[in-house]
Amino acid sequence: MLVNRATANGRPAPALRAEGVTSGYGGVPVVRDVSIAVGPGEIVAIIGPNGAGKSTLLKTLVGILRVNSGRVFVGSEDVTNHAPEDLARRGVGYVPQVNDIFEPLSVQENLEMGGYLLPESKLPERVEEVTRVFPALAPMLKRRADKLSGGERKMLAIARVLMLDPAVLILDEPTANLSPKLADSLLRDHVQRLAGLNKAVLLVEQRARAALQVASWTTVLVSGTTRLEGRPGELLDRQDFEELFLGAGTTSPAPTLPSPNGGAEDPEVEKG
Amino acid sequence: MSLLIAAFGFGLVSMSVIALAAVGFTMQFGITNMINLAYYLNKAGISIWIAMLGGAAFGAVFSFLINRFVYAPFQRKGTALLGMVIVSLAISLMISNAMLPIVGYFSVSYRERFSHLLHVGALALTVNQIAIIVLAMGVMLAVHGLLRYTRLGKAMRATAANPTLARNCGIPTQRVIDVVWLITGGLCGLAGVVAALDSDSFMIASGAGFLITALAAAVLGGAGQPYGAMIGAVVIGLVTELSAAVWAPDYKQVVAFGILVLVMVLRPQGLLAKRGALAAAG
Ligand SMILES: Nc1ncnc2c1ncn2[C@@H]1O[C@H](COP(=O)(O)OP(=O)(O)OP(=O)(O)O)[C@@H](O)[C@H]1O
Ligand SMILES: [Mg+2]
Repeated sequence: MLVNRATANGRPAPALRAEGVTSGYGGVPVVRDVSIAVGPGEIVAIIGPNGAGKSTLLKTLVGILRVNSGRVFVGSEDVTNHAPEDLARRGVGYVPQVNDIFEPLSVQENLEMGGYLLPESKLPERVEEVTRVFPALAPMLKRRADKLSGGERKMLAIARVLMLDPAVLILDEPTANLSPKLADSLLRDHVQRLAGLNKAVLLVEQRARAALQVASWTTVLVSGTTRLEGRPGELLDRQDFEELFLGAGTTSPAPTLPSPNGGAEDPEVEKG
Repeated sequence: MSLLIAAFGFGLVSMSVIALAAVGFTMQFGITNMINLAYYLNKAGISIWIAMLGGAAFGAVFSFLINRFVYAPFQRKGTALLGMVIVSLAISLMISNAMLPIVGYFSVSYRERFSHLLHVGALALTVNQIAIIVLAMGVMLAVHGLLRYTRLGKAMRATAANPTLARNCGIPTQRVIDVVWLITGGLCGLAGVVAALDSDSFMIASGAGFLITALAAAVLGGAGQPYGAMIGAVVIGLVTELSAAVWAPDYKQVVAFGILVLVMVLRPQGLLAKRGALAAAG
């Protein structure tokens, strides 16, 4: 199926690849001329500021948004503008940033829908296998999915996408709303384990540092275009990267709000 | 008092008829996000007991075709809900006017009459009416079984809850929606035949008042909520018949409409809908 042969830069042959993709909403391009690839066993992290077009890029890759120009390939097959159902059939699993579960359905039904393409007789067995990966879900199979906590919900969303055992996993901010500890464990234990199982993992992360620690390749998206890309170690060495992403928000002081009575200098104002 | 008991019996019958239509209605709205006012016309078929299936099948195919060739193209163009309501209103007017020369203004009656009265406790109902109640309960159970226990039914609920995610899971949402139109059209065809059976005589204009009643039940239960529609049908069916008994039968639809307006003001999301259930689906 997927040929795991190394390419010139030491990366595996891509399982999913986008070439010069431009897309957006209603004809207005948000993502412009972006190329990205992820191969089996790799974790490719996309980072970038809010509104950079990260989610838009992922939605384009999984067939939710139209590709205006450029091409998308799964393995060697051109799947540009194929329907989302077709990408699911071809082994591309996607966990969106929001609306990532079927809220009125039970946890078990969510998993069953994740496995919709499996033969019905295989479902119970597969649900059991997947809940072994996320044991926290096991006791709540009958619960309505909108009654889960933020962390449980993300686990369900990822468990749901694992039902089909996809070769490519696309995760949009899987650690958003998770405690630092849980976020760390999700990236280290689950995401790395999946890459260890030779899945191609493409993820968007706000936690740039945490992402760089697990990623084998990183793309920095700014204003809809690729600003930088490379191995995380190389990126970390670059001064401009440090300034662009890791510095922002950690070293620059938080902007102070002018107080309504004009006393912006008064440090006591906020204490009331 | 006996008048009220009789009204209660009629309420049971009405609610059965309403439930058939309202559940179809609400499923259609929940899953396809649209309201089809042309709905009630599907029941123009003239049939007897055995042909009831024919009425359902006619409704099913008809609603499927309307969706495929009329609504779906509009929806693809991104017509807003209000626009769609107008389109469906236009369709319903066109169809009912087109039907007039064919079926005529006159009432038609089903040939088979079971005016034989059966007594259940203090209630006296005709065999027809009991059959309607049994039929409606059977259909409600079938809808419940479909939605809860079959893969297709779960896919319908998944598609209603989050259509994009459903596609990402590989669910063929278009086919699922087609099946919803078939089923809801069938329910409506059945409701039409049954309503005509209950009222003994029937003409094409009977549909409009019935539409309001079914719509009220669907909205009362929370649009897009099949179980809500069942409860809505129970409430509306009983309240309209009881009000007819203590007040005047002419006000049945006024009462139904009044409930509809009250619900929209006091609890626009309906009895069963969770807060934002509709927004979450859109
Ligand atoms: N459905 C939509 N319709 C129109 N514009 C949209 C839509 N979704 C996003 N946008 C716009 O596209 C741009 C990119 O949004 P996108 O969601 O891809 O950003 P992002 O990089 O994922 O940001 P975040 O880190 O906040 O999730 C933003 O300017 C946003 O306002
Ligand atoms: Mg995003």
